[in-house]
Amino acid sequence: MTVEYVDAGEAFNHSELSNLPHSAPDVTRGINYERILQARSESQNWITYYGDYDGKRHSLLDQINVDNVKNLKVAWIHQASATGLIASTSTYAFEACPLVVDGVMFVTGWDGWLWALDATTGEQLWRYKHAVPFDVTLCCANVNRGCAVANGKVYMVTQNAQLLAIDATNGQKVWQKTIGDVRAGESASIAPLVVKDTIITGSAGGEYGVRGHIDCWDLETGEQRWRTYTVPKPGEPGSETWPADGEAWQRGGANHWVTGTYDPELNLYYAGTGNPAPDFDGEVREGDNLYTDSVVALDVDTGEIKWHYQFTPHDLWDYDSTMEMTLFERDGKKLLAHFDKNGYMFVLDRTNGELQHVTPFVDRIDWGVITRDGKVTPRKYPDKEGEPCHFFPGPAGAKEWTHASYNPEHDLFYVPVADVGATATRRRREFKEGMPYWGAAVEVDIDNMAGSVSAFDSHGEEKWRYRLNNMPMAASTLSTAGNLVFAGTPAGEFMALHAETGEKLWSFQCGSGHHSSPSTYSVNGKQYISVPVGWGGWLEGIVPGLSGQGHGASLITFSL
Amino acid sequence: MTIAQDREDLLAELAGQNKATIGAVLGTGSIGKATERPDGTMEATIRIPEDAMTWEPAILMLPHGGKIELTIINDDKNTHACLLPSNGERQFIGLLNHSKGRATLELDGPGCYWYGSPAGNDEGRGLTAAIVVGGEVPPEAKLDRPAQPRP
Repeated sequence: MTVEYVDAGEAFNHSELSNLPHSAPDVTRGINYERILQARSESQNWITYYGDYDGKRHSLLDQINVDNVKNLKVAWIHQASATGLIASTSTYAFEACPLVVDGVMFVTGWDGWLWALDATTGEQLWRYKHAVPFDVTLCCANVNRGCAVANGKVYMVTQNAQLLAIDATNGQKVWQKTIGDVRAGESASIAPLVVKDTIITGSAGGEYGVRGHIDCWDLETGEQRWRTYTVPKPGEPGSETWPADGEAWQRGGANHWVTGTYDPELNLYYAGTGNPAPDFDGEVREGDNLYTDSVVALDVDTGEIKWHYQFTPHDLWDYDSTMEMTLFERDGKKLLAHFDKNGYMFVLDRTNGELQHVTPFVDRIDWGVITRDGKVTPRKYPDKEGEPCHFFPGPAGAKEWTHASYNPEHDLFYVPVADVGATATRRRREFKEGMPYWGAAVEVDIDNMAGSVSAFDSHGEEKWRYRLNNMPMAASTLSTAGNLVFAGTPAGEFMALHAETGEKLWSFQCGSGHHSSPSTYSVNGKQYISVPVGWGGWLEGIVPGLSGQGHGASLITFSL
Repeated sequence: MTIAQDREDLLAELAGQNKATIGAVLGTGSIGKATERPDGTMEATIRIPEDAMTWEPAILMLPHGGKIELTIINDDKNTHACLLPSNGERQFIGLLNHSKGRATLELDGPGCYWYGSPAGNDEGRGLTAAIVVGGEVPPEAKLDRPAQPRP
């Protein structure tokens, strides 16, 4: 006898089995280009990745200050963790910078997560979860650095190279664009940047021999406005820096995987680019390899590269230059500061890329020397097949992607410094699409590590240093008008330092290492500091000696 | 040590409850392919057989990304559930003994996705299965370069 099946019905959103209200106030409706241009003047909010187009990561909020920061306490915690089998099951990390608009926080996690939270209580208002393939190619784990907001929407990329526009009131997807080729080894982790009526993204995948690019999309429709490749084709400007008869340019890397900064007067987007591929085998790509390890200044309307400056020509150490290009003014000049993986601080005239000066910002540099006027002399690099070469800084750099902040009142940059070496042994391999393409065996030192939060003035003079206990810094700093610098350590400690002296004034043990970008905001006159905590990412490169730390995945928010 | 020719025999030892191990080892079950309607929507049935604690097929192949309509059947004499990936939010369905339901998923391609029964340790015993989406990304998302060698 046939027994009828019990009707199990239709599958439904898992979030229905929760107390989520599935709605949020329409706070991003009024966010537009004009408001983002003035982002710092509304310091109660944090409406764009760096807090402002200039990349300073400096807030004018001063309710929490050097006098009362000792009273800072946990206001709320958002816990997320991971469920099921996800990409980078063991190494996913919480790397985002939370955005806040009029009391609502938007923060991305790993594996396609986006949460809208009540910024005063941490209550989850809605969530979006993109389905990310388990087998997606990720050099540096399942991470995402943040979202953008404008015109009633939230924008984010996913690890499988999708750009999403999401309704900020309910978490429903409005449109989706595929922005990279996962079969080629491309992925995406960048926080998009809204400029005018467009949104700018970049690609990841430099360890897999892709050809880097920067893309601009229509904010409302997702239609592509322009794409600029950061490795030129034969015949294009810069192609003379690649082998004339080879295929190296096709796999050249130069990925833009960290958000750029923007000068609205010059109409230029300053994009950092990543390492050439293969990372450590330079013989297959003779030449300077433009525009790898560079800043490229793009006309935001056309994507045209107006000028460039290359920080590490013909890189043999994996010294990406993707990290922030901080825009500041000095003596009436429009300048740009950049702390590179190669251990040097560069200051450029951002109108034309002309170098102003170069200074080292980490104690141990032996890969080569860059003089104050920019002359580069390599000294140690993986040269002969099978012969180990040890060098400082290691491939995670003297400063990883995590960001410095800048306090204009003191003319001080607060830099998360990593002082860790590595050994690379050249091992040539044939290129195959989607496979790792490093050209070396790499072992990062697990001891003899050092690190600090170091304060440098814009001339490159070190003013103070807060030393960590035998470990590098691997998280962004945050500067506030309360004369404070906030910074989290790999050991889980979240600290407030005196902006003028580096004295530690407060700390809280968060229970897991920091590898993210804290932000600050205020609601109803009360200031909050919020930091994603969750140890993971490319730990075997950044700090293998601490890769066994507890994992964690929480967003912790503090107030007085 | 045994070699590849013994694969079927060895799989028979692994695939099932209380054989080589306590549960069924993930990825050792059957493989099936979704069918496709003229409008591009894909269809497939996934099933939990009696006392197997596995999904059939254990690997469901989709020709490309997009919308897939699943029929989900629990032929077991125990209660399970199913939590599936889909763009926007994971899809959940409870599966009483001898029950049948449906799910509509949206998945990008290419890529491999896991789903399972989030109850007790169903996932570890064998009720974790894969949806494998084939195909290529849209032409406009490909890199401007000549075709490259693949492994």
